[in-house]
Order: sequence, then structure tokens, then C-alpha cells
Amino acid sequence: MDEMREAQRSLGRALGKAHAGEDRELAQRVRDEGEQLCQMLAGLLKMTRVHAPDNRAFDAPVAEFGRALSSLLGLVGEVHLVAVDDQAYVNEMRLRSEGKPGLRELGPELKHQNVGGLTFQASLDDRQARALVAAFAAPPADPYPRTAVRERLRRAGVTTVELHGIFRFRTSDEAVEGRRDPTEALKRALQLSAQAWEAVAAGRAFNPLPLRRAVVEILEIGPCSLDLWAAWVTGMPRKAHALAVMMHSLLLGETAGLSRGVLQDLGVAALVHDVGYAALGATATAAGPDGLARHPGEGARALLRQRGFSEAKLRRLRAVLDHHRGFDGPRGAPSALGALLRLAEDYVNYLRVSGERLSGSDVLASMAQAGGSAYQPALLQLLVNALGKFPPGTLLELADGRRARSLSPVRGQGTFATPLARLCDTATGEAVGETLDLARGPAVRRALPG
Amino acid sequence: MAARPGQAPGRPATTPAPRLTPMPGADLRAVSAAAQAAGAAIQALARAARSFVLYDAGNTVIRQLLETWRTRALEALTTHGELALEVRPFEMALRGEVVYLDPDREKSLAFKLFRDGVRRLTLTPTASWEELLKLLEVVALRYTAVRQQEDDTVTLLRRADLKGIRVVAVEGFVPSEERPEPEAADDPARKGAKPAEGWDTPLPRLPPPGPIAFRPLPAPALAGLRASESDEALASSAMGLARDLLAEAVRGGWPTPSADLVAFFAELRDYLLAEGRLAPLRQLVELVAGSGAGEIREQILSGLGNARTLDLVLAAVPEGATDLPEDLLGLVPLLGLAPALDRLEKEPDSRRRALLLKLVLSRLPREADTLLHRLPALEPGLARALAHGLVTGAPEKAVEVARFLLGQKDQALRIAGLESLAQAPGEVPMPPVMALLDDPSEAIRVKAAEVLGRRGDEGAREVLLRALETGDRSLPEVEALGRALAEVSPVQAGRLLLGWLHPKGRFLVGISAQQKRLQWAAVAGLALVPGEEAERQLQALAQAADEELRKHCLASLARRRKGRGHG
Repeated sequence: MDEMREAQRSLGRALGKAHAGEDRELAQRVRDEGEQLCQMLAGLLKMTRVHAPDNRAFDAPVAEFGRALSSLLGLVGEVHLVAVDDQAYVNEMRLRSEGKPGLRELGPELKHQNVGGLTFQASLDDRQARALVAAFAAPPADPYPRTAVRERLRRAGVTTVELHGIFRFRTSDEAVEGRRDPTEALKRALQLSAQAWEAVAAGRAFNPLPLRRAVVEILEIGPCSLDLWAAWVTGMPRKAHALAVMMHSLLLGETAGLSRGVLQDLGVAALVHDVGYAALGATATAAGPDGLARHPGEGARALLRQRGFSEAKLRRLRAVLDHHRGFDGPRGAPSALGALLRLAEDYVNYLRVSGERLSGSDVLASMAQAGGSAYQPALLQLLVNALGKFPPGTLLELADGRRARSLSPVRGQGTFATPLARLCDTATGEAVGETLDLARGPAVRRALPG
Repeated sequence: MAARPGQAPGRPATTPAPRLTPMPGADLRAVSAAAQAAGAAIQALARAARSFVLYDAGNTVIRQLLETWRTRALEALTTHGELALEVRPFEMALRGEVVYLDPDREKSLAFKLFRDGVRRLTLTPTASWEELLKLLEVVALRYTAVRQQEDDTVTLLRRADLKGIRVVAVEGFVPSEERPEPEAADDPARKGAKPAEGWDTPLPRLPPPGPIAFRPLPAPALAGLRASESDEALASSAMGLARDLLAEAVRGGWPTPSADLVAFFAELRDYLLAEGRLAPLRQLVELVAGSGAGEIREQILSGLGNARTLDLVLAAVPEGATDLPEDLLGLVPLLGLAPALDRLEKEPDSRRRALLLKLVLSRLPREADTLLHRLPALEPGLARALAHGLVTGAPEKAVEVARFLLGQKDQALRIAGLESLAQAPGEVPMPPVMALLDDPSEAIRVKAAEVLGRRGDEGAREVLLRALETGDRSLPEVEALGRALAEVSPVQAGRLLLGWLHPKGRFLVGISAQQKRLQWAAVAGLALVPGEEAERQLQALAQAADEELRKHCLASLARRRKGRGHG
């Protein structure tokens, strides 16, 4: 078969596969209803120039706005509305402003009060929707107009609307210029993972695209990057489970040489691997051994709500289903991503549960002996090779008596036991001091719990 | 200059790119040679990507457009080096010169890229044909507006990890405050996301710690891991997931109906069919059919059997075949009755019709009711064929089939209905059949007589007698009535028939038409009446009769002997 014919076949297959992965209906509904909502909001804000907020002229449009918001909340859970320049986005979906002047006017209307976006956590009744309009109708307060709007909302009892500042577009070349902030990237991933959890808990469909974008950003920084790990150790809540599992599984995946696409899927799976607990809710069966046994299946069931077939969804579902499956279990070995998640999560869980008495080094040294039963031996060695003798986050007592916290995964075979570390505040244990390269000393006396 | 990898043989790498043709109203200011070449390449990319909306991937038009994309792109890169294209809402520019402009939102490549956040697209001279093809694939996906939930242009390009093509894209929003304001305190309305107490516990007991050291892993140690997540392993991975999900649905007692699970299996089927992977699809069907998933299994199987499956399976059947090839037989449970019937109604090719008919009838007796309900809407020929198949494949439905067919206007269908009654197992209602002895159509009356003879009893004797004694019926009809009479009441009818065998004609006039009809009926009926007397009387009549009657007698005698031979 000649090259061009093969190209045609390959393109045909790709398009066919993608068609199998469509969920056009949902995307279209979110876009349509998002456009409607934004147009209504822009219209309401414009009306305040003509009518006082308590004017009867607001009755019908306010009620209509409330209905539109309820409907959209039913589709996507929290509604995140962002205006950047003259474009508007609902939950990161760009709205089509061509021929819809209302959408282009939303940004300027909000900017008037130094607001760039709103998050609606719940429906608004007529009174609350009118209070929202009234809060924006007042003259901008000096020096903090947005803060004043927030205060007016609070006083009116509108507690489910969050206000955001002005945004600008962030492009990928900012990273090239060294401006990508790992802490911000991790915060975004953490926040999105919490939103995914809430969506599943509320019985809504899972939307992977925002999570994928967040993972792409982290992969651009580099799963083995010292900056990323330093940001995680010093700038993030290390006990945030989904984020910790994502960090460790991406490190493993990168070290194992997985392709960029598979790493994206692994990262997204890591951020949602425990959503089965959200689906189980606060029931008695959600805790202990029963929840442990049921949550992978419940998680997969929740993720199945997202329609459309793609290799990404397939990998994600397998990973979530398999993330507690043992290497030599009765149901056969787990998928590759499931096995990586299992390793990463077990390491994170042992630290979470036994962190008061075990250090990261202790946990790793114990897990390393479980190869062949729970874990595939090669993967276990991969974990050891990636984390090193003093895994990132481990509290260290140095030979000179100072304490430091390990910052980096293994940088090379020669630095297996000598990571970068940051000196700790002796009272709090927080890594706030100078960064040391322990390859240059001082030596590590021992690893400590905590 | 050496040809670049993938360059079309025989084409000089430095063929001048054609000048751009500005669109009406377009402000196309490209003047430099690099801009001209970049513009030609981008237009070729846009045209090729857009063409998938109109043509199948295998079309020759697509082939030509792919050739053009490759040639233009490689020419531009070879001659002018790296092409860093700025993406604006409706145009693309190379170093400030607009090289592409299309204000049509549906057609514009620039708009598609800009919409997904792409702000700069850089093609480097190291870009291989495979990478250029991948770029085309990503753009084509966006033209056909697919996968809006899982991916966009940026994530697709990042996923492809193209070394020779770079993208600068909007990756989100960041705060950009001219007047920074204090952040709001933590919102008490946010409930937060917390699992239940004691989650992920109990953890397996850890072994005592041992020494750990860095040990380089040989390359093959992780090759299996990487291979298991490759695109090539996707089908087997999908099968593994299908098996696990089914097991989990059973184990976890997932509520039914499980629309999400059914949809997943349908999506998996579409994927396997799109890939032409019929063997895994067959395994999938076997997996579902053999699962203990009960109601879920039924839902999944019925969910899989839509028109798309049938179309794709039929596409895999060799032209002219009237049977499914061996490797497709396992898919039969997947092929739904309704789509097969829809297709059968419209199919002009007789061999394809024969294949579809077999597919439909293979669903019997399980889906007999569905088929029965569809019969009234089908054209008579097809309805008759299906009714025949129904009676054979689901005999217990024969009476219902007959009732439906007898209610039709078409004579052939009504005859088929009577035939259905004749074949029906168990007790068959006879009054409607008796009523048909007075039907305006002779063919129906004859068939009704036959059915009464085969399935009737003594109760039909009077009706048959009345039919024989009234009306101006043809010889074939009275022949049928005579036989029926002998069949339902052989002993009593025997005496009657013998009495009709030798009518006494009036002087100079001979026997009447009615006597002739009764005589004809008697000859036919006596073929079925036991005893030597009937044989003797028929032989005697044959010797004395005219040619027509003699032949009729000989035929009856032959039938008698044949009947005896069969015991």
C-alpha cells in the first residue's frame, strides 16, 4: 500500500474513532444555555442605567435569568462565567459572540466593578437575582469596588455567588519565557479535582477537558522538574490526596517512558481516581473495607456518565477500576495505569495513615519488600529509583543537627540518597529556609516522621 | 537538493508556490516569497482538513488534497525554513504579513485554531510527513466538530508530542488586576470535598523495611508496560475494560436500566467497527452474551443492535454473498431485528435481500411478536415471505399470523394466511375458514376447502356439503370440496360420494351440471375413502367415462395407491 493511501486510511480511522467519542449534545446545550445566561446578565446590568433595581421592569428578566441559571447548573454543576477582553467563557467553553453584542458587552459591564468573572454555586431566587443586579448597579466604591460588591451581596444574603478579579489570557509561551508558575498550576489542578468530586457527588456528568488542560500544564513544567516538586513540598497541602497521587503517578509514568498522551490520561485519572467515594456519599458503606471494595467500581460507574468513546476515557476507566487491584490478584494483573496509580496511592496512603510514626523513607523501604505480591517488581524498583532514599516531602535530620525537608525526586543514580532539601523552621517543621544540595553536604543523619 | 522524507518523487523541492488568490474583500498583503509559500501551505492544510466534511477519507479528492498539503508544506519549509504563523480570529500571519484570510466562521482554519486558544503555530524544517499528517488530522477533527468534551486542538497537539510543530496557545486565564483587591475569606457556602471517614482503609500490612538502592532497569523490563498502553493495544484493553465493567456491574449490583453502561458498549462497538476490528467485536458480543449480567446483558445486547451495526457488518460481507461469512456469524445476536427489517424493505439487490431475510428469521422465535407487529406495514411479497418464515420459526404464532394475513386485501397474503393455519400446531379455529367457502375469490375458496380437509373435523361436513350443493362452482373447486369432505368424515362421506358417482341422467338431456359437479367431487373424494368398494366403483367408472372423467378417475386411483404405499 502506498504512503498516501496509508495516510488516507489512518485519517479515516482517526475520524471514525473520534465520531465514536462525540457528545455533541451536551456540549451544544452548555454552549447554548451559557450564551443565553450571559446575554441575560449583560442585559440586566445594562438596564440598571435606565431603571432602579427595584423597578417592576426587572420582574420578568430577573425570573428568566434565575430559570436559565438553574437549568445550566443542572448541566454542569457550578457555573464559572469568565469575561476576558471581549470574549466570554462558561466553564472554559468559549461562547460565540459573533452577532451577539450582549456577550461582548458583558466584560465591560463587569469590569466597571473590577470584576472579571463570577461563579454561581447554586440557583438564585428572584430576590437574590435582583440583589445581584442591585449590587452591580451601585457606583463603584473606592478603592475596592469588587470588595464592595461582595459586601453588598453578603448583606443581601447572596452567599452562593463568588466574584473574581480581572483576567487576561495566559499563553503557553509564557512557560518558555520562564513565567509559568508551578504553584499556580498545582492549585488549579487541586481546585479542578475538587470540582470533579463535587460534580460526581451531585450525580452530574464528568467533564475531563479542564482537568486535562491542567495536567497538560503540569506536564509542560515537567513531572520530574525540581520546580514542580519544590512547589508541591513548600506551597501545597501535601495531604491533598488526589494531587499527591497525581504528582507521584506522573513521576512514575514519566520515568517509565510513557508517551505524552498516556501521561495526560494518567494525570487526569489520578485526579479523579477516588471519585467513587463521592458517588457513595456519606453512607455507612462508604467507610472501611466495604467502601474500599466498592469505590473503584462506583468511580468507574460515575465516570461512565461522560458519553463518547475515546482512548483517554478507556484508559481512565481502567485505571480507576484497577487502582486497588494487586499484581497477583484473582482478577488478573491491573492495567498499566492502574498499577502505577496503585503504587502511587499506596505510598501516599501509608504516609497519610502512618505519617505520625513513619517517614517517607520508612514507607518506601517497606513497600520495596512487597514486590511480586502486591506490586510488579519492576514498577516497585521504578518507584524506588524515582523517589530516592529520601522522597520529596520527607523531614530530614542533618548531620549538623539542622532539619530540612526533601524537595526533589531522584536527579540521577549518584544522588539517590542526596536530594535537594530546604531548611525547616524548627518550631513548625515548615520548609521555609535555604535550599541545600545534599550532594554537597551535610550528610543526612536520619529521616523523621511528619 | 536532496528530497526530504516523504517528498513526492519527481517533484522539484523548489517549485514556486502559486500566488494567493485574495478572497473578495480580503486585505491580503503578503508580498514576500516566504509569505506566499506559507500561505499556499496553510490554504492546502485548510482545504484538506475541510474536505473530510464532504468526502470519505478514501476518496480520490482527499488523496489529491493530501498530496497538495505535503508538497506545499515541504516546499515552504525547505525553501524558507521555520514558519512561525501568528493565529488571529480570521487570519494567519507570517512576520506581520497576512498569509491566510477567511471570514467564514464555518470554513476558516484560523477561526478553528483561534477558537481553541491557538495563538501561534510554528512549522519547523524538521517536521516529518507523519507530523504534518498528524497536524492535518487534528485540524480535520475540529472541522468535523468532534470530541468537544475530551479534547481540543491544544490537548490533541500536546498529546501527539510533535517535535517539528510547535504551538503557543491560551491555556487558561490568569488574574490581571490593575487595582488588586483583597481576596474574599474562605466561603462558608463551599462544603468542600471529603470522602467518608476511614476511606481507603484498612491498608495491607507493610512488610518490615529492607534496604533500598537505585537499580537501573533494563529496557525490556518496562517495554510491556508501555506497549499495553499503546494505540495498538487499545482493542484488547477495551475488551479488558468491558469484561471488568460487566463483572463490576454484577458484583456491585448496579441499578438497572443502566443507560450509561449500555451507551458505553455501543460506543465501544462503534469504535471497533470504525477500526474494522470485527474479531474483537465478536468477542465483545460473546462476552456480553455469556456474562451473568441478566437484565444488563439484555439491555446491552439490544442497545448494540442498531442500524449502524448492521450497515457496518453488511459492508464487511463480500458482494454477492447470501450468507454471513463464518467470522461474522458470531455477530448475529448483535444485529437487531428492526434495523434489519428497515434495510430489507429498501434493499433492491436480491442477494442482499436473501441475506437480510435470513438475518431477520434468525431472530425467531425470540422476536416473533416484534416481527408480527411489523407485518402490516410491509409490502405483500415481503410480508408473505416473513409470514412463512414466522410460521416455520415460531409455529405457536401461526394462528396470529393467519389472522393478520386473512385480514389483508391481497389474495396471495390471504392464501398464505390459510396455509399458516394449516401448519399451525394445536387446535385451530375453523369457523373463519368455513366462512371463506363463500369468499368471492375462487382461489381462496379452494384453499379454505383444503385447510378444512387437513385441519377440520365432523363439524365441517355440513358446511362442505352445503358448499357442494349450492352455487356454480368450478371443477377444481368441487374437487377440493370433495376431498375435504372425505377427509373430515371418511365413513359417512364414503356412502354419499358413492351415491354421487353414477348419476341418472334425464331422458335425452343427460346429467345436469350439478350432478356432474357432484360426480367430479365424488371421484376426488373417493381417492381418500378406505375400502375395496370405492376402488371398484372408480375403476368401473373409468372404463365407461369420457376422456376427461376417465383421466380424473385414474388420477384418484393413483392417489389411492400412493396413499396406501405411504401406509
